[in-house]
Amino acid sequence: MKSTFMMVMAVVAMMSLAASAGTISGKVSGVSGESVVYVEAIAGKTFPAPTAKPVMDQKGLMFQPHLIVVEQGTTVEFLNSDSVAHNVFWISIGGNKKLGHNLGTWPQGEKRGFKFDNPGAVPLLCNVHPEMSGYVVVSPTPYFTKTDKSGEYKIENVPDGSYTVTAWHEGAKNQSKPVTVAGDSKADFTLSK
Amino acid sequence: MDTRRRIFLLFVVILTVILLTGSSYAIPAFSRQYGTSCTTCHVDFPKLNDFGKAFKDAGFKFPKGDEDFIKVPQVMLGAPAQKELWPHTVFPGTIPGLPPIGLRFNQFFQYTSGNANNYYQIPPGTPLGGALPPTIPRTDFEAGYFSIFMAGNFGSDIAFWVDDDLSVSGANANGSLGDGYLRFVNVGRFLKLPTDAFTVRVGQFELDLPFTQARSINISPYDIYTQANIGSSSQNVNNQFSMQDAAQGIEFSGGHQYGGYHYSLAVVNQNTSGGAAASPPNVSSPAGFFSDSNYKDVYGRFSYRFNLEKDPASRHDVQAAGASGPRDHTYLSLGTFFFKGRSVQRFNGLTSGGAADVLTAREPFYRVGGDFSFNYRTFNLFGLYMYGHDNDLLLNSGFTGFIPGTPAKFNGGFLEADYLALPWLMAIMRYDHVQSTADFLNQAGSGNYYSPVGTTRDRVTPGIQFLIHANIKTSFEYAFRPKQALTYDENGKPVNQLRTNTATGALEFVY
Repeated sequence: MKSTFMMVMAVVAMMSLAASAGTISGKVSGVSGESVVYVEAIAGKTFPAPTAKPVMDQKGLMFQPHLIVVEQGTTVEFLNSDSVAHNVFWISIGGNKKLGHNLGTWPQGEKRGFKFDNPGAVPLLCNVHPEMSGYVVVSPTPYFTKTDKSGEYKIENVPDGSYTVTAWHEGAKNQSKPVTVAGDSKADFTLSK
Repeated sequence: MDTRRRIFLLFVVILTVILLTGSSYAIPAFSRQYGTSCTTCHVDFPKLNDFGKAFKDAGFKFPKGDEDFIKVPQVMLGAPAQKELWPHTVFPGTIPGLPPIGLRFNQFFQYTSGNANNYYQIPPGTPLGGALPPTIPRTDFEAGYFSIFMAGNFGSDIAFWVDDDLSVSGANANGSLGDGYLRFVNVGRFLKLPTDAFTVRVGQFELDLPFTQARSINISPYDIYTQANIGSSSQNVNNQFSMQDAAQGIEFSGGHQYGGYHYSLAVVNQNTSGGAAASPPNVSSPAGFFSDSNYKDVYGRFSYRFNLEKDPASRHDVQAAGASGPRDHTYLSLGTFFFKGRSVQRFNGLTSGGAADVLTAREPFYRVGGDFSFNYRTFNLFGLYMYGHDNDLLLNSGFTGFIPGTPAKFNGGFLEADYLALPWLMAIMRYDHVQSTADFLNQAGSGNYYSPVGTTRDRVTPGIQFLIHANIKTSFEYAFRPKQALTYDENGKPVNQLRTNTATGALEFVY
């Protein structure tokens, strides 16, 4: 009897939580191609580190995919699929040069992981092939997404509340704006280089 | 030595210096084809890094999985299935998806020591009204080369290279073909030989020198490579051949430049007369002959490079795996080379019966030397020593034949240290040395503007180079030379000594 009561309470709690979650959608303009939109850190709230380990490949002298977005605390695995030597390094995270790091060299077919504990954009480089460029964007919250190529985006399951939402695009200045989520919310961004 | 001949020789020397100066190449065509930066293959273009050496060894393609890296697909010249019909012949073959054309332009600024014009003093005894010697401007802007170069791979491990200087030093000044060849890579596979043990190159090419002159990063050439062997007035040696000359012929080679053994053996035209085509009196050249004799010269080289990486896996890779990324190996390379030919000169003489006859002196000559290169990270120390020897054949008193004279010899080399302090900043220190008794005895007559006071010609040449962009480079070098003189007093002391130090700046771009 007691356990049945607890289950009912849990279902009610989940239903009420779902009822208070909304979406943020809109468009990022002023730039072409994929952008990233994410909710900035929420005061007093932390999130567990994801267990999934996305892979950033180096193939054909390119980072593939060119851009991935992960939640803070995620470990990204860097794979070398090329028959030539590569390395991965970045000179900053979110513009903070103290967070620059060099992962070294590893042979074809092997991976090396790195846990990103600091939010911000990570410009990936290879010190042998300077034309190679890739990005890991580390979101401080689990509420993030990539836009489609036309700039449209939608972040789902965002709890109702007031947040700061930031749009990022390669080579452009970030733009942040306050967004109040109550059901479906809209936020458009116009970025410039 | 009359003034007219001196002026002519001087012109030849200046032209030679101009032609040799900065004759370097990088291949933007590869950059386009693979969508990659110059630094993938070059330390400081055109100097190759270990990967660039492997790329070249493989026939201008990636050593493994080349097709994975090409961004502009090759054009097939036949369906792949044709290969089943004619497995080792013409099909299918490919050509690059884009015309593999690179262009290059460079220009120079020179500053020459003020007292260099002592070189051009009117020789004692010159009659009034006679020809005046030229002058050396203290400062001078030089338009350099506009060059075109093409290179790539036709599939089936057949590589090609053609470069040509469309213009040299200003208006209406045509240059000439640099290298132009086909290279059949790893043909030893048909003979079941080890991979890359046997490759054939045919065409016109720079000899497989230990350190390339044509693709050197230096503004000025290595003196020992430009050294011809012109005997003194008591000798009949007049060999214009120098090691940096382009050769026409066939070359067999094997091994790798980035580790282990490497060898080459070339059979090439003989041309000791000092021109693309032999000039009279050697042979008439209505069809543009490149040989000045029936004889063919032979050049051979062997080297072994010890990669000194601690990690055995990395030691055998194209590049070493450094803690912060791939890099050139730490290595020590040792090598030797040998060139053998016969310098031909023809004379108007007599038969033993007294009839007019062409007398041909075939003076055997050889060049032999050794070289080393040590590399640690971005520091490279390398050097070369070479000895040159030409037998001398003098006309006998009856003009009916030859008698042996004193061989003409020279030796010398260079030592250079390159340090890539930053990915865009190269510091260079270089020492050149040539010792030739004949040069000293000939003085200006040798055609050597930098003639020595003694038998030794030295210079120290520090330099620095900046990559403004990956394809734009500015270079500076300053050549310190010892004092020299053209005349000597009755006590043998030099008169009007001069110093021909030169500061040279170069600006070049490739695209």
